Amino acid sequence: MTDQDLDQVIRRMAQTPLSRRGFMYAGGLSAAAAFLAACSSGGSSSPSAAATTSAAPTSAASEAPTASAAPSVAAVVVEKELFMYNWGDYVDPTNMKAFQQEFGVEKFTYDTFASNDEMMAKFQGGATGQWDISAPTANFVPAMRDQGFIQKLDLPHIPNAALIDDTFKKQWWDPTDEWQLPKDWGTTGITVRTKFVKEEVKTWKAFFEVAPKYTGRIVIVDSPDDVFVAPLKALGYSLNSVDPTELGQARELLLALAPHVLALDSDQYNTKIETGEAVLGLTWTGGILELRDKPATADVEYLIPDDGTVFWMDTWVVLADAPHPNAANAFLNFILEPHHQALETMTNQYASCSSAAKEFIDPKVTSDPALYVPADVQAKLEGQKDNSGSKLRASIYEEFKSKIGQA
Amino acid sequence: MAAITEAVPVRPARPPRSIRSAALTTVLVLPASLWYIILLVLPLAIVVVMSFGLQGNHGSYAPGFTLDNYGSAFERLTPFTTSLWLSLAGTILCLLAALPIAYFIATRAGRRKSLFIVLLVVPFWTSFLIRTYAWLTILGPDGLGGFIGDSIGDPGFRILGTPAAVLLGVVYGYLPLMIFPIYVTLERMDRTLVEASKDLGAGRWSTFRQITLPIILPGLLTGSILVFIPLMGEYVIPAILGYGRVFLIGNQLVLQFLESRNWPEGAARAVVLILIMLVSVIFYLWFANRGRKTRDVSVI
Repeated sequence: MTDQDLDQVIRRMAQTPLSRRGFMYAGGLSAAAAFLAACSSGGSSSPSAAATTSAAPTSAASEAPTASAAPSVAAVVVEKELFMYNWGDYVDPTNMKAFQQEFGVEKFTYDTFASNDEMMAKFQGGATGQWDISAPTANFVPAMRDQGFIQKLDLPHIPNAALIDDTFKKQWWDPTDEWQLPKDWGTTGITVRTKFVKEEVKTWKAFFEVAPKYTGRIVIVDSPDDVFVAPLKALGYSLNSVDPTELGQARELLLALAPHVLALDSDQYNTKIETGEAVLGLTWTGGILELRDKPATADVEYLIPDDGTVFWMDTWVVLADAPHPNAANAFLNFILEPHHQALETMTNQYASCSSAAKEFIDPKVTSDPALYVPADVQAKLEGQKDNSGSKLRASIYEEFKSKIGQA
Repeated sequence: MAAITEAVPVRPARPPRSIRSAALTTVLVLPASLWYIILLVLPLAIVVVMSFGLQGNHGSYAPGFTLDNYGSAFERLTPFTTSLWLSLAGTILCLLAALPIAYFIATRAGRRKSLFIVLLVVPFWTSFLIRTYAWLTILGPDGLGGFIGDSIGDPGFRILGTPAAVLLGVVYGYLPLMIFPIYVTLERMDRTLVEASKDLGAGRWSTFRQITLPIILPGLLTGSILVFIPLMGEYVIPAILGYGRVFLIGNQLVLQFLESRNWPEGAARAVVLILIMLVSVIFYLWFANRGRKTRDVSVI
């Protein structure tokens, strides 16, 4: 049974959409298996794979890239297959079918990972040549580039890349914008059941202050990068801090919070908020925003804290040894078309990185400040760096994790 | 592999045939040996090599030699002790639950024996993960947890996210591993021994203690090992039913390999765990077999 099948079964079972970063545990299982498999196959990721970099089909040189999508893409032969390695349920099914029909792609394989860490572990374990496209979060792109896991984009064949907003270009993870295409973006914030929590929890500072009053009713996503956002921002530091003094202060806040936490859960946090088991949360928007539309949970609020939070962005990358590069280009160009982007945004509930899509999106979605963040709030957001090298962060997180719910 | 080396010297008088049989043995053993080497020895060797290595630039592993990973493997032992307690408690509870079930199926179920066996196997057709998720609904606020909470008038009462929930999930998940070995020994037991014991005036308890128990002991021990060893590496049940509030060594390893991307440190900790398990299982078998003439208890 693949993760995807599993995903669908559970989805049906729970009757609630899974969060984008859901399936941590299923993922953990498959990651462990994949890790063993990768090791035993003896394959190691060869940096020479990067040799395929920018190996654009020769036809690309002869034809001038045009602004209109169709001609330049149709000029190359699109393979009949496309292998994608993505978060669970992260491409709109209608879009997938439409793409297959338009380009005659008979087999669209969609494999899933549950966390960036799992995806990374799979490539570091030597998984090569299995997929064409993946969707890491932006802060993982440099590491993937440096290790030769991804190839430069064949931009002449993806003319719709021009539709990406400037805000999302020239970021630290890809200053030249040639390794990734922005997929969508979002925030990590505070979820409150206002029926139960009477205080205003508008900042991370307030979050830590009221936490003891709601002991055993707080849910937090199990993701170190996101967990560190809260204490560091509450203290007024950068969320990417690796400074020992700053992290020491953050540690104290986290350890004081740990006994009051009901669950560390990246997968079912929305369910816990829905049932009222948890009334306060450090969560993503996935699975939370739609709760507001249900009568029983209309009191759910998602807040982007005033003391600032993380802005994360997921990206499309083409893998270094993609077996179907033309199909990959065709897909990227297809998905960036405004009406396809609009469908993605409405299905996934994450904001598109292309404003051209906005007019095709339900105004209810585009006017939602939790998704389409106002400019003044956006100014307080901070991009996520790759902090996986910090041993101090790792050990603090482990300590925090081992003290959850321990009085 | 031992069979190959032994087969040759046994029949020195007829070398051609024994060479042929040795060749045949080799061919027949080859798939199993390859399986054993590729899927067991090699991954284990990789873990051991990795445990002496360095953390790579982007996490994962870089070649090198250091003992530091083992130094830190003995820090932060709480997850290990929690795992140990949970595994011991889980094994004992499984044992207590499995014994009557296996006894019933083997001796009292009559014609419905096959039906019960099938019923024990049926859950395996569904993914373990989904079955664990099902417990979320059963024990959750809309299920048993909420019901008990309402009954005793304590809205804060819950089952999920407590060690009890983890223990329940563990017993549920691992019970069949305990039932089958016990069932097999009970099934093969000569029932006339029990009758003889009763004829000779022994009561139920002393018959059980002096006849049944010694006979099914191998099954009990095999079952205990089958449950205890995987339990020490368990990390899914505590994460789902324990809400991440029960932090086991399995969760610690996942954290080190995936989130911290420190493969060498994770590998060192895994090696230490393997060694501890090896020593304790050997001790367990020695303890169980002491005073017996034949060693009829083995891991499988």
